[in-house]
Amino acid sequence: MALTTSNPIQIHKLPQHTYIDALRWLPHLSTFTRHILLATYDSDTSTPSLQTLTFSPSQNTPTLTPQASISAPSRITSLKVSPSPFTPSKPLIAAAIFSGSVLFYSADLINGSLNFEYSVPEEGFHSGPVSGIDLNENGSECVSVGEDGKVNLVSLGDKGGFRRVFDSNGLVSYSSVKWASPVEFVTGGFGFGLHWWDQRKGGGPVALFKGNWTGGNASGIVHSIDIHPSRKHTCLAGGSSGTVFAWDIRSPKQPLILSGFGANDVPANSLVESDIWEIQYDNYTHSSKISNPTSSRVLPAMICSEDGILGVIEQGEEPIELLAEPCAINSFDIDRQNPSDVMCSLEWESIAILSRP
Amino acid sequence: MPGVTLDSGEINSLAVVPHSSDAQSPRVYPLRHRLAPPLARISISWARGNSLRVSLLQSDDVVSEQNHGGEVVEVKLSNVEGGEISDAQWRRIAYGSVTPFALLQSQKNAIDTLRYEKDWWEHVMDFSKEINSLLGNSKSSVSPTIEDPKSVFKEVEQPSSLKAAWELMEIFYADKESQTWIPERLLDWLADFDCLFSGTQPTVHAKLVTFQKELVTIQAVENDPEYWEAMSAALAVGWLDVVVKLLRLHGSYLLDQLGSREIENGLVEAVAVLISQMPRLRPDLSAEKFGVCYKTKPEFMKAWEKWRAQITKLDCSAFWLQCDHQQTRSGLKNMLQVMLGNASSLSTVTYHWLELYISHFLYIRPFTVGLESMYSLAQKCMHLKPISSHHKLMGLIIGILEENTEVVLAECSRSFGPWMITHAIELLTAGSTQAEMLLHEQQSKIGGICIEELHRLTYAQILSSHALTWNIAPIYLTSCMKQGLGLLENLLYKQPVQHHQVLVKSIEICRLNGLDFVSYDMMKIAGVHYWKHGKKGLAVFWLQQARDEVRLNRIAKHLFDFVGKSLSDESFKQWEGMIELLGTESNTAGGLEFLKKYRDFRRSLQQVQEGITTDTAFKAAEALIALMRNPSTPQQFWLPLLHDSLKLLNWQERPLLNVSHTNLLLNKLQELSLARLRPGFVDAELPPEALKSVRLALATNLGRAILED
Repeated sequence: MALTTSNPIQIHKLPQHTYIDALRWLPHLSTFTRHILLATYDSDTSTPSLQTLTFSPSQNTPTLTPQASISAPSRITSLKVSPSPFTPSKPLIAAAIFSGSVLFYSADLINGSLNFEYSVPEEGFHSGPVSGIDLNENGSECVSVGEDGKVNLVSLGDKGGFRRVFDSNGLVSYSSVKWASPVEFVTGGFGFGLHWWDQRKGGGPVALFKGNWTGGNASGIVHSIDIHPSRKHTCLAGGSSGTVFAWDIRSPKQPLILSGFGANDVPANSLVESDIWEIQYDNYTHSSKISNPTSSRVLPAMICSEDGILGVIEQGEEPIELLAEPCAINSFDIDRQNPSDVMCSLEWESIAILSRP
Repeated sequence: MPGVTLDSGEINSLAVVPHSSDAQSPRVYPLRHRLAPPLARISISWARGNSLRVSLLQSDDVVSEQNHGGEVVEVKLSNVEGGEISDAQWRRIAYGSVTPFALLQSQKNAIDTLRYEKDWWEHVMDFSKEINSLLGNSKSSVSPTIEDPKSVFKEVEQPSSLKAAWELMEIFYADKESQTWIPERLLDWLADFDCLFSGTQPTVHAKLVTFQKELVTIQAVENDPEYWEAMSAALAVGWLDVVVKLLRLHGSYLLDQLGSREIENGLVEAVAVLISQMPRLRPDLSAEKFGVCYKTKPEFMKAWEKWRAQITKLDCSAFWLQCDHQQTRSGLKNMLQVMLGNASSLSTVTYHWLELYISHFLYIRPFTVGLESMYSLAQKCMHLKPISSHHKLMGLIIGILEENTEVVLAECSRSFGPWMITHAIELLTAGSTQAEMLLHEQQSKIGGICIEELHRLTYAQILSSHALTWNIAPIYLTSCMKQGLGLLENLLYKQPVQHHQVLVKSIEICRLNGLDFVSYDMMKIAGVHYWKHGKKGLAVFWLQQARDEVRLNRIAKHLFDFVGKSLSDESFKQWEGMIELLGTESNTAGGLEFLKKYRDFRRSLQQVQEGITTDTAFKAAEALIALMRNPSTPQQFWLPLLHDSLKLLNWQERPLLNVSHTNLLLNKLQELSLARLRPGFVDAELPPEALKSVRLALATNLGRAILED
């Protein structure tokens, strides 16, 4: 279902029979077949499950063929993938679930199977849903946050063991988390709040940030955050009212607002008015204005939103709209090895795959 | 009403069986549970949508540590119809129809500005085509590169009767362009959907499918009477391409026989040419179909007369006598009779009244226009071929032909469900003024709403009952003038607030529809929910969003009990996150604003402890006065605050508080002493001499301040 001939982006919509809670590209094995991972929820049978599918790209009719499927104990709230350093055909999958646990799987892409490895026991881990997880670069540690205000570190070395980093006793809730360095991570939460954590310093977060630029209007929630591996001091956050802002730990009181609706001091050309569900740095959109790596400009970022927009936002530039749907786009993923390809999950039980020229 | 069967006490056979007055065999839904027999009680209630909640309770004496004594299971009742269309497909249709429906409604609202660009029916046609494309493709576009000569009839995926019904509505109500050639539209329609009738009665389609299967094994087709029967039948309903293809399979075309059967072959070919040149009263035909199209009646009339003359001429030709193959001769003659419109021939080669009806249009009355004459012809055909079994599409066609809007509505809603009726109403109102009046008239017996609104509301209710489609129901509800918004509020209030994503989506729907008060209410519900579940930060956030100062003040009272009241208390650190959350907007924090002031005071006091200048100490003293003066400062904090500030009260260089300030503090102390006598007062955990030392410090300060003045 390509748009028009003048639009060189190829868009393919592939209806599924289930609701898609999250989706990720899996590492490539060859150039011709690629694999994707879906966290689905079948409402007819009320079963949440995890599926790997083979994606065969083709000009006219790309196809998705189911490869392996495994049912999950409850709905998946957050999904992360880490390539396995020794066996590239067996990536590691971490899935946070609604009932308060994190499950680890390994996918065997050659034999087409999905294997459950182990899970963190629900007792004492999180009470209530785990809202966000992130795997660190080498896939050895997984940080998890929840609405209950607990921050836990799961070490993948000892199976199922975890360490409590912090417990706010419900005074603060977290919605998302992202590693900044092997010892630092950032959590996002309510009131446009971001917390910077450093494992070398015990106790609470080392820096706090609260966005209050909405000029007395209602505040919002950070739904998703991202940190670029080459600029670990800057955290990019997306949330309510189409708000995207960058927070530099070196100047913690001055956030840079890239987009937002209804706020006073934001660029007028906002792409999105409603909640931004996910944000990721977009390595594919090259910025002509950022020539030296030390430039303080924020790199281009891709967002997806409740009002059905998938787009790219860049500081000081007109936002680019890649896809506009009549329903919400709940999540997306940029293929790390081939960043021209993006896929996103639509509220109406389908996924869209875009390949940019 | 569903009932439960318990036969012979065997627990594994426990199941729900719906009773129905129809003679259909009951459907059995097995219950999956892990309880050991015996069960003491079973209760059944409706859960969300079309699922039942079955509570299984055991008797008290089996309840133990491992055995909870009961279980609640949900039973999903599947489509009563058995399902030509699966639930997932229905949802896909529902999703896909949202955009065309919303677009049509907005065009309807902007009709005055659009009037000069396009006729209204053209907008409706765009809508109808969009919807039709959702219901599946009727023709398979991919054809094999090497065509099998014996494959005369392409087997395509069976279309749904829903699509057939939609196309019927489109032909008769929406498409004004094809009004002059409705018979030909019906012919195309029957070619696509005749297979739907095959299940309940013999049809031309079924005949051809059977013959197609036999064809592979037959040596000389022309000797088989089935061959001739199949061809006459296909010819009668106008599937000319099939007939021509079949004719060319005639044995006389074989190279080795061409010499000996020259005349026979000539006759076969003559008929094939005549068939392929049949005049058709329609603007165009697809490439693989046969016939010559004429757009205007006079042109068609001329061609038709000429064509008929050619057939008559062939019929009287002398060559027939020289044809020795008896089957070929009689078979071809019979086909000529069909083409000449011999009523009895048509009646024998067709199977049900619709096929006969089409053949009458083609060969006897090609100029039939107007529903009235079409209906009388239909009645005639039904008289010749009575309906043996009722088919839902037949009911719909008859309703349309007899121009009875009530029947059409009833058939749509009964046979094809609420989705169909909700969307088909758009076609009906565009096509007939009588229908429009009926549908838009306000009916007092259904609460003053019109029938159109009633059906939309029903459909929206069905959408609302499913967890994946509830968020498209607002599109339909907002198109309902009278009851829509009320039901939308209901729907939003019913959404579970514990799912954070659902809450955010609901609030977005409120924003789009200007229902701010509903979203504030939902935020309040969410706030209270999270407060109850110990997620204090989330509770404060949502209550702050809802600007609910009353509840914020109330929970503030509870929260302060947990706040460390002494400067030396390290646990105060954990409140930092919450204080950050409160932000700077003082108007929405309610009583919680105290927390922020208290934190600032603690900070300045800590600086004083570290021994810095009189200036900072003076500022700390000012903060203390501000805190003590503020009515939102809870009483249980008064004494700890003053006790922590002893250093300020006894400041060496000069008194930091003037007379009136000191008096204020003394009054507060007095008030506190009185309050302590009341029951229920919780004393701060302070050394017993705390009150005394504060009082002494204040008295000293007062003396010094008086001297200073």
